[in-house]
This record gives sequence, C-alpha cells and structure tokens, in this order.
Amino acid sequence: MTALRLPLAFSLFILVLTGCDWFRTDTPVEPLPGEVRVNFELEWQGESYALEQVVTDHNGYPIRLDNLQLYVAPIGFRQEGEWVETVDVSLVDFSIHAQKASASIAAGSYDAVRFGMGLPPEINTDIDPASYPNSHPLSVIGSAGMFWTWASGYIFVKYEGKFALEQGTQLLEPVSYHCGTDPSYRTVTLELPSALMVEPEGEYNVTLTLDAAKALEGTNDSIDLAVDPVTHNAQGDSLGGRMMNLLVDAWKIRLE
Amino acid sequence: MITGQRMRLGLYALAVLALTGCERCQDDLPCDTPDCAPAATPYTLDIPPFFPPMDIPEDNPLTVEGIELGRMLFWEKELSADGSMSCGSCHLPSAGFSDPNPYSTGITGAQGIRNAMAIINIGWSPTFFWDGRAATLEEQILEPVSHPDEMALPWSEAVERLQNSEDYAARFAVAFGDETITPERTTQAIAQFLRTMVSADSKFDRWRRGETFLSDAEFAGYEIFLREGGDPETTPGGEFGGDCFHCHGEAGLQFSDYLFRNNGLDSTFAADPGHAAVTGNPLDSGKFKTPTLRNIALTGPYMHDGRFPTLEEVIEHYNSGGVPSTTVDPFMKYTTGGLQLSSVQQAQLIAFLHTLTDTSFTSNPAFQDPH
Repeated sequence: MTALRLPLAFSLFILVLTGCDWFRTDTPVEPLPGEVRVNFELEWQGESYALEQVVTDHNGYPIRLDNLQLYVAPIGFRQEGEWVETVDVSLVDFSIHAQKASASIAAGSYDAVRFGMGLPPEINTDIDPASYPNSHPLSVIGSAGMFWTWASGYIFVKYEGKFALEQGTQLLEPVSYHCGTDPSYRTVTLELPSALMVEPEGEYNVTLTLDAAKALEGTNDSIDLAVDPVTHNAQGDSLGGRMMNLLVDAWKIRLE
Repeated sequence: MITGQRMRLGLYALAVLALTGCERCQDDLPCDTPDCAPAATPYTLDIPPFFPPMDIPEDNPLTVEGIELGRMLFWEKELSADGSMSCGSCHLPSAGFSDPNPYSTGITGAQGIRNAMAIINIGWSPTFFWDGRAATLEEQILEPVSHPDEMALPWSEAVERLQNSEDYAARFAVAFGDETITPERTTQAIAQFLRTMVSADSKFDRWRRGETFLSDAEFAGYEIFLREGGDPETTPGGEFGGDCFHCHGEAGLQFSDYLFRNNGLDSTFAADPGHAAVTGNPLDSGKFKTPTLRNIALTGPYMHDGRFPTLEEVIEHYNSGGVPSTTVDPFMKYTTGGLQLSSVQQAQLIAFLHTLTDTSFTSNPAFQDPH
C-alpha cells in the first residue's frame, strides 16, 4: 500500500496540472438565461398570407407580393421599465417559411417587446459588407439584393410584387418599394398581452405578425399604387418614409 | 543513481500524461510509414481588397497539388468521349473563360440552349448554372463531362482513363492522400482550381485602390451605373441613371448579387423556363442568375441565350424597358419607357463597363492549358 501512495499522489498532481477545472469556483455563478424564439408571420388584412398569393388592396386593386424582406435590429425586451437589447440584426425574408430570431435573455418578467425596423445608423452606412463573414445578414452574400451602396447603405424594407388596375386582368404593373436611409429607421414597440415569465433555461415563443396590407393603408395615411407604385428612396424621397410610418402600425404580437 | 521507486514514478507520470491526452505532439510526428502518403501542401488564397471572404468547403480545402491537378483536369481533353474537348473548350481565356458563341457545341455537334457562363470569381458564387440547379461548385462540375450534348463521357469511363495514366494516379495520390480516383475527387480538384481564378486587377480595381484614374467618360459611366433609372417625371426616384447597381452592385466588388431575375427579355417562357425548372414555381419562370459584370466586355454574346452580340444591344434592351410579363423584375422600366439614357450616356456607361476588363486575369499563366 505504501508503495502505491506516492504514485497515486503524483498522478493526482499531474491530473490537476493538465487542466482539471472542477474546483474553480472563484467566479460568481450567473443565473442561466432563457431562450425566446421570436417568430415572424405575415398577414393580409387580418388573414394569414403567403407571398405570391393574389389579394386585393384597399383601393380594390388585385395585388401579389413576390418579395417582402426587412431588417430587424435590434430586438429588445422590457423588464421593470428597462429595455434589454438582444438580437443585434436579423434579415426577415417572408419568402422563407418560419422566419425567426432567437434571443437569449435573463430570467425575469418582461412586459413589452420592441425592435428596430431597418438598421441603426452605426451599422447602416460606411461599413464594408465584405468585412462580415458570409453567414452574417449584412455580408455581401447575406444581404444579397438588400444593399445599395456604401454611402446610402442597406435597403431596410423591400416590398415588391405586381398589381393590376382592374380586377380580372393580368398582374403586370410593378410594385417596388425599397425603403431605407438613416432617417427611415423606425422603432416598433409592442406591449405583450400578458407578462413573459422567463425561467432559467426555459424556452418561449413570441410571434410578431406583420399585416402587409397595412403597409399601404393606415389610420393617417394611405398609398395609392396607381399613383405611387414604386420608390427606391435612397435619395430620400418621402414615399419610403411614408411606408415605414405605415409599417410601424402594421405589427401585432402574441405569446405562444 | 535513479532509484527503482523514482523510475516507477517517472514511468507512471509519463503514462498519466499520455492518458490525459497531449495531442500536440501527434501533429509534429514525421509521416514516414508506408500507409501515410505525403500530405498535400495547404494553399492560402489571397483575398483581394474589398472582396468578401470565400467560403471553401471543409471537405475540399485548397492545396497546391489539388489546384494544379484541377488545372490539368480542366484542360484535359480525355474527359470527353472522343478526346476532342476539355472544360476549357467552352470556357476560353480570351472570352473571359466563357464561350464566344451563343450556344456551345458538344462533341456530337449538338448544341445547348444557353450560353456558357463566364468563370470569373466563381468561388464567391452561392449558386451555379444560369438556372441555379447546382448548389455547389463541385456539383456543377459533375455535369458537363457526362452530359450527352457536351463532353458525353460517362464518369465510369472518365475515371478509368485517368486511372490508366501514371501521371494522374501520382497527382491524385499527392492531392488526396492515395491513388483512388473518383468523379468526386475529380470535381473537387477542378473546383479547387476554379476557386483560385480570381479577377481583381481591372482598371476599376486599380482605381478603387487609388492606383490610377478613370477617364471623364468612364467616371460619368460609373455615376450612371450607380444612379436610379428612369425619368423622374414618370418614375418616382428616377435619376436618368442606368439602375445597374441594384443587381450588379459593387458590394464586395462582385458586380452581381447572384440572385435570379427575369430581366424582361420575353413574355412567355415555354422555350426556357429558367429558374422555374429547378424550383417548380411558375413565378420563377424566365428568371436566370445575375451574372457578374467583371470582364463583361470580353464575355459576349450576352444574356442566358447569348441573344445580344454587343454591349450596345444590351444597353438598348434596358433603355427600352424590356417586355412585360407576370414575372418580370420590378426594376425593369417596362411601364415607364425604359431608362431613357441618351446616346452619350449609353457610351459613357459602356466606357465604364470596359474598366471592368482584367486581362491580367485572362492571360494569367496559372490558368492556361498546361498540356
């Protein structure tokens, strides 16, 4: 037995030297966060909508949306009056089923969600998309079709499709709204219907639903596609800003 | 003197160290066993200024030997049934590694229905073929060798031919660790070679790097390239620009966003449904991959079917707005009279497009036929 004592002690010593972290308890243990999955869904006039379906707008024009993408940056959750920002930036593409962003937030009670629609100025312009890894939503590949130029930055919202001026005719008229530039950045705040109680390591679903019809008609403004079917407001025309204002009120939220 | 107990202690400590897994030493071991072929030499691709990172598949890293093998295979005529064609037969360096004919002619005389796409900076492309039917470069390379209207050589025979070559057996052994030759390894090697085909030294690139100046006409053309198209009286936001940047943007200096679009060439698509043939979605009819504009002055004829022999005709197409259809891209100005560029503006735009020509790329000895 005595002969074994020294080798045993030495092997324990070596094990400790080769990186046993078990006994390191000098840093305080942070409470584990919960995971909130933020789902994005699409509606048209209150009914579930998928891109490429033909619907009717507020003026009675048949319309088909082929492409609806938007940047969301960041997403925040309100806890006792303070906002906790989480997801840095997401590109929501409604042509892809089940769009979502995952947020890791500390355990606690939250009563509202807010998100930036578009990109805040600090990440919109004068940053080379090539500086991001290709998997990033602001990279050259990740932002395909959503980048104007270094000076004008990214397209915040792309709302594209076709419409017709009369029912029963082919949809050949273009709808092409590209909203962007720093002044078009908007923040959407949505009160949760009930408190979101986040437990450590808990998993939760929050669904944000965009009513795409409301991009054309709201309480204080409306867009007539026969008059204004197109805007690419990199140069700062007012149409892009008007659609962004309409979009602020086009969202609703629910807890799953 | 080392006592027996101390020796046992030392041996025990060594055993514990080995068991606790010091792997660093394993990488440093010389590879001199018969089963261990000499490793291929890793190749680091220089990413040009303003370019994005290139995503290289983990299962096909670039190596010096793999790239050289890929070059040999790209130019290998034995990969066609009658030994008359290589990949390079339809991707000519002088034409920016594309085909100067609207349709490529295979070994049987049969012709395809689309113009051979230019091979330029293809390592950054996320999709392949005009219709996007290949998801990876390796997958794309697999097709032409066995396609009956192209090189018409079954892959089994292609592999057999390569296996009969001592030189190729040795090259595969070095590039991939053993002499096994497969279609997958063949395409991997060619893909490695193609990923090194980087064009980044056009006059425009040199201007971006501050090494030269654009002429007044070229710079005016660049401004047209970056401006919104259309008459502001009829097109909101219109600036009498070329509207080129939307699809051929300068992000990452790719001059393509690699998306699929219908640019108003046709109103019906029975002859070639384009991307719809891949997705099965009728609303993708007439959509084709946006090609890069790099070396565009060399890569005519233009469009997926090579219908326009000259850049002037291409510009005229956009200037007139194209034809309407249910899938035409909303960027096309078919309802508002087209771009309405003057003849001077058109010439300026073409002058700019010529600044994207990179003859150091097309004449690069590393890309030429080594046979």
